Amino acid sequence: MKNRLKIERAILGITQEELALKIGVSRQTISSIEKNRYVPSTVLALRLSELFKKPVNAIFELEGNEG
Amino acid sequence: MDMNSALECEKKSLKKLKKYRLPNRFKTIGIGVIVFSLVSIIVNKTSVDNGLFTQTAKYGILLGLLFISLSKEKIEDELMINLKMKSYTFAFVISVIITLTNLLFTFITSALFEKQMNVFKGIGDWQVLWFLLSIQLFYFEFLKRVSR
Repeated sequence: MKNRLKIERAILGITQEELALKIGVSRQTISSIEKNRYVPSTVLALRLSELFKKPVNAIFELEGNEG
Repeated sequence: MDMNSALECEKKSLKKLKKYRLPNRFKTIGIGVIVFSLVSIIVNKTSVDNGLFTQTAKYGILLGLLFISLSKEKIEDELMINLKMKSYTFAFVISVIITLTNLLFTFITSALFEKQMNVFKGIGDWQVLWFLLSIQLFYFEFLKRVSR
């Protein structure tokens, strides 16, 4: 699963810490998602989509063999 | 109470049980209990009576490990819960493997060297629980470091 979290965060101009605070998780969770080490739950993905005002598909994308 | 409300009630209590964690301060309490138990064992080794007291202190170590294992992280979010679940699964599988391997090893060596096939001594409950809790805690810390 690829994601554009880092790019979207850069567009909003917020740090990992600030994003973590906004959606109620730890900075480590944001860092893990950005590095593709952790796939977030649907709830967290929807929270991120709401914050970035973009559909979940625009932030998270399945890679070749995952579909 | 009809069937649906009974099921709903059961679901709620199961959810509560799944989410049950001790507050973060229990981590410190757990470490304290372990240190106290270890000191008690060491001090008690020098004195004459080391039966019941040492046994109680040994279970104190398990209680301390359980406190640490069940306590929440400073920020307990879905990543931490996910890592904890992974560590519990890993610890369970490894503990069963260790127990079975030990059992088999004891059986084979006793059959070979003692010429008695019926000797089937496994490791005790304390060792199994100690393995389980220690492996869970170490693996959880390892996963936390790796996910950073």
